[in-house]
Amino acid sequence: MADRLQVFPSRLEGMDRSAPVWVMAALALALLILLPLGWLAYVSVSSEGSLTLAHYRKVFMDPRLQKALWNTVILAFWVGLASLAIGVPMAWLSARTNLPGKRLIRGLMMASFVTPPFLGAFAWVMLAGPNAGFLNKLYRNLTGAEEPLVNIFSMSGLIFVVAIYTFPYVFIMIANTLDLIASDLEEAASILGAGRLQVALTITIPMVAPAILSGFILAVLQALALFGSPAILALPAGFHTITTQIWALFHYPPKTEMAAAFSIPLLLATALLLLLQKKLLGRRGYASVGGKGGQRREIPLGFWRYPALLGCLAVMACSIFLPYGILAKAALSRAWAQPMTWENFTLANFWFTFFEYSSTRLAIVNTLELGIMTACVGAGLVALLAYITNRKIIPGHQILGFLALAPVVIPGVVLAVGLFIAYTRPPLLLYGTLGILFVAYLTKEMPVGYSQSDATFRGIHPELEEAGRILGAGRLRVLREITAPLALSGIIATWCFIFIGVIRELSASIILFTPNTKVMSVVIFDLKEEGQFGAIAVLGLFMLAVTFAIVVLMQSLLGRDFLGAKE
Amino acid sequence: MPGVTIKGLTKRYGDVAAVEGLDLQVKPGELVSLLGPSGCGKTTTLRLVAGFLKPEAGEIWVGDRCLSSPITVVPPERRRMAMIFQSYALWPHMTVAGNIAYGLRFKKELSKADREKRVKEILRIVQLELSESRYPGELSGGQQQRVAVARALVVEPEILLLDEPLSNLDANLREEMRFEIRRLHEAFGITTLYVTHDQAEAMVISDRIAVLRGGRAVQMGTAEDLFQRPRSRFVAEFIGKTNLVDGIATEPGVVTRGGVRLRVASADLTVGAPVALSIRPHMIELVADHQIGTVSARGDNLLRGTVQRASYLGDAVDCQIQVEGSDVILRVVAPPGLRFRQGETVSLAVAPSACIPLVESAV
Amino acid sequence: MRRWWLLTITLAFSGPVAFAGLSFGQDIRLEAAKKEGKVVWYSSLAVPSTEKIAKMFEAAYPGIKVEAHRTGSQRVLQRVMQELQANIKNADIVHTSDAGHFVLLKEKNLLMKYTPAGVEKFPSGFKDKDGYYYGLRASLSAIAFNPKVISPTEAPKTWKDLLDPKWRGKLVTAHPGYSGFITTHILALVNQYGWDYFKQLAQNKLMLVQSANDPAQVVASGERPIAVNGAEYFFYQTQKKGNPIQIVYPKEGVPLVVSPTAITSFAPHPNAAKLFTDFTFTREVQQVLADSEGLYTGHPEVRYPEDKPKLGDLKLLQVDPEELEKRNQEIKDRFVEFFGA
Repeated sequence: MADRLQVFPSRLEGMDRSAPVWVMAALALALLILLPLGWLAYVSVSSEGSLTLAHYRKVFMDPRLQKALWNTVILAFWVGLASLAIGVPMAWLSARTNLPGKRLIRGLMMASFVTPPFLGAFAWVMLAGPNAGFLNKLYRNLTGAEEPLVNIFSMSGLIFVVAIYTFPYVFIMIANTLDLIASDLEEAASILGAGRLQVALTITIPMVAPAILSGFILAVLQALALFGSPAILALPAGFHTITTQIWALFHYPPKTEMAAAFSIPLLLATALLLLLQKKLLGRRGYASVGGKGGQRREIPLGFWRYPALLGCLAVMACSIFLPYGILAKAALSRAWAQPMTWENFTLANFWFTFFEYSSTRLAIVNTLELGIMTACVGAGLVALLAYITNRKIIPGHQILGFLALAPVVIPGVVLAVGLFIAYTRPPLLLYGTLGILFVAYLTKEMPVGYSQSDATFRGIHPELEEAGRILGAGRLRVLREITAPLALSGIIATWCFIFIGVIRELSASIILFTPNTKVMSVVIFDLKEEGQFGAIAVLGLFMLAVTFAIVVLMQSLLGRDFLGAKE
Repeated sequence: MPGVTIKGLTKRYGDVAAVEGLDLQVKPGELVSLLGPSGCGKTTTLRLVAGFLKPEAGEIWVGDRCLSSPITVVPPERRRMAMIFQSYALWPHMTVAGNIAYGLRFKKELSKADREKRVKEILRIVQLELSESRYPGELSGGQQQRVAVARALVVEPEILLLDEPLSNLDANLREEMRFEIRRLHEAFGITTLYVTHDQAEAMVISDRIAVLRGGRAVQMGTAEDLFQRPRSRFVAEFIGKTNLVDGIATEPGVVTRGGVRLRVASADLTVGAPVALSIRPHMIELVADHQIGTVSARGDNLLRGTVQRASYLGDAVDCQIQVEGSDVILRVVAPPGLRFRQGETVSLAVAPSACIPLVESAV
Repeated sequence: MRRWWLLTITLAFSGPVAFAGLSFGQDIRLEAAKKEGKVVWYSSLAVPSTEKIAKMFEAAYPGIKVEAHRTGSQRVLQRVMQELQANIKNADIVHTSDAGHFVLLKEKNLLMKYTPAGVEKFPSGFKDKDGYYYGLRASLSAIAFNPKVISPTEAPKTWKDLLDPKWRGKLVTAHPGYSGFITTHILALVNQYGWDYFKQLAQNKLMLVQSANDPAQVVASGERPIAVNGAEYFFYQTQKKGNPIQIVYPKEGVPLVVSPTAITSFAPHPNAAKLFTDFTFTREVQQVLADSEGLYTGHPEVRYPEDKPKLGDLKLLQVDPEELEKRNQEIKDRFVEFFGA
């Protein structure tokens, strides 16, 4: 690290205003990360003032908790594999072949990416509940079979539902890597006599292998941290995962110290996996050797063009069409499991949700307030951090970058346990206010926001700023007239990312909310426990509508390409 | 119009010195190129002059103003300079006119009408009248380059800095732009520092060239000076192609290597000292047997050798010749009319004035 | 002020509640309650029912808002305790279906001693002997099945019928970790049959849902055709909406769940809380609970819909709140032990 500092010197020297920035950033990061995690670790080993490993012993000796641990391992592993099985072929098809409708597929991928997984899980309860589920009924009607086609309330059902919302991570990772490998590299092998399969086996796959492995790890991380889907699908089937178990430990009488002791292994596991992924990606340098400049030629699929498209659409049907359809149906019917007839049609669910159910308005206001607040503060903070690290303005800027990315290893539930312990006691009593949710969201969204911002500023050549300086503009003026306008669309995109992340957040909210600080995801979860399907569907659709409005806004902002220099 | 004086300039990154004790003088109205391979410190020097970096030692003066010293650095915006960047650094969110007019905002003495007039005028000079309201992203590389030039010139800077401005253009356009930049320099007469690693470019454009190596200026002079009288092995090789012959001074005006004895351009060599000679390939003449008499009468060095390889290049023939009686292999550029076979024995004539002993032979 | 009185008077005649008996003392309290402006109600009553009562109160007393927070009984208690730990005093009124909660809250001095108007006529099972909490409503925990899937002749009639292996994969239960209703249900049956009953029941691979109201939806949709427990009033409501669901009241006895309500000792809006509590115990509101919600109440003058069984005709299984409080953890632990989560 020290060597890098020397090789890449500061571009703008003579900044002696670093101290306050440092103090602010350090303080913010301490409040957001170190304090909660510190308390978490402390509580997990303390018992009435003395240090003990009793909580850990208790946690790991308890057969129920062992079971939850094991369930989580199974879930995460299979979700990783399933995400690869879906994501890799689709990425290859859309990056390398003449598959029709690629834009559509990528668009649907985006939709799947932003769909809150717990909504998907909820929709799949209605689609594939073993008896009342739409698909199972259809199957029974068609075949006359007794047994259901699928039982969503099972480990395999859970794996399936988690995987169809996790594979876009793999897709994006692989598609981007494939985009970077120029076709010449493959053609070089062809000309030397390798057949198509051999090219794939000896050139393409080894080159994307690190991306595949790291995609696997990313999917595993997602599955480890997820709360909503297991809560909706695993609990009715009578099993826990780590996240739902931690949540259950909070039930009255709360066993905070056990929850803390149970959180630490999860935290370590995610940190370890991430480290591994970094190592893999770090050695990937060769994948971009070909660089963006290389030509890419599409592989003709021939007869398989349309079957391949159909396959892709089938996957998207599972994650988009079917769930959205059933949500719409549930929102518009009296009894969701009954056929959609005139007698069954109603708008009462909308009326109830928006006008009678008093939590709705509170939750919507809270959610939007938190979304806007977190997105504004977050986008500002990460922009500042990314600017500092990119322009190397203060010494030790790399540490800031590292800390901004660090929360990516903290699962929402674990973060929430830490925040709960840290902020239910003086000096900072944030529990019961929107403040604690704000802190949780800010921390959770920081890595995503930071990488967005980092990419933004990386795309703004420092010479653009220097050109302004040498022509007579001061530092602040350059920041205002050149840097800010250039970074604006990127910053707005970051804003949108954070906002979308916030409004769908469940796993931390579920532990940190109080009746006055309910948010939409929590209300949906509350309604789920009560079995109010119609209202959930309405709120879910509302949440999706807000999300897609933001996505469309973001794409139109980024798509308008007057920033031609990027090409 | 002030000049630029750089005294003992030093810039270190950690233990590595990018610029070390650099001295350089640019006369008012002069265009000086900083020429050298990558890592020689030329860009760092330019950025020090621009005020983006702070030196560890030394001073930069423009006219009677000291702009940089280890104690204070006048910020870039108050240096009355303009710079053309390698990436052009055109602001993609401003039109061509907006880019060009930007620097004029800080010239409070100009009225709005004056500014507009100036923008129009410079657009005409760089032949971009029709692109005024387009965005940089919509222009070709050459057009973008001209916008960058216009943006720098329109503010009428005291000093103009150029950082490899042609390196992003393709070969044909680059040659054209060399003359264009020289023409603009002659028209505006702004004191200019020009950074490049391309010796041909430097030779076309510059009044004088400073060759940099390891953060120091190893030689400075006009293109002709540098080409004809390189002081060091490094300069001789960096500016144009050359043959280097390492020998011993056997007389004050003679250098010997093995069986080869060459009379050289100067007569003050220390006898017994090792001397390196630079002989440009095109200064070696291939002579037919019947001409040998005339050639020796002229006092040229006469050598015999065997053709190892000859390549026809259209406007010349490039050959390598193993000189008899030594291990010296000379590269010769001969007129295209001559034809050689490999292994053929030929005679070579080299005028003593073409054998340049290098002052800093060791370097 | 004048306009407000006019409004009140208009409402008094048009609204669901008559104000005929307003005394002078209540007048002062009304003023104080209006100043407080709202009442915060943590309730475990089903979402639509909770919202309905809140709306009724707001219509009767304009200017006083009801902030209703509905969740499962156990979550209500968890919220209250967690908030107190963080020194947040938010709840005015606590209402759950786990009478044990009120024993616990009373022990911790978290309840205000308050006797709602007109409650003296209620049967003793609805009243705390120390006067801290009173049963707002009662319901039964019953069996329900989907007649489209299971023929009524074939359907289970008794608690023991549910142990038949033929129901494997067809049953659903709500969760005592969420629902006070179910905690009560389990204790009542454990007292009758012992833990063995539940151990055997678990062999039938039950689907687990959280709220005692959720089984109604599960049965109606046919996801699992039989509910082994659940709030009878919500089964009834679901049935009234035209869903395929039938309720079974086992002969051996039906757990009666009396859901108490109490004002907290730290209530930030004590006057509004008293006003609201009185309001919920009026005959009018109690009648609405019976009519549209299908609940039973302690109010002697309340009439029940024709199609609901009379409490007197059933053998009722009741549990002691003190015992419920003492065995709360045991019930949750054993349940998880048998059923998995």
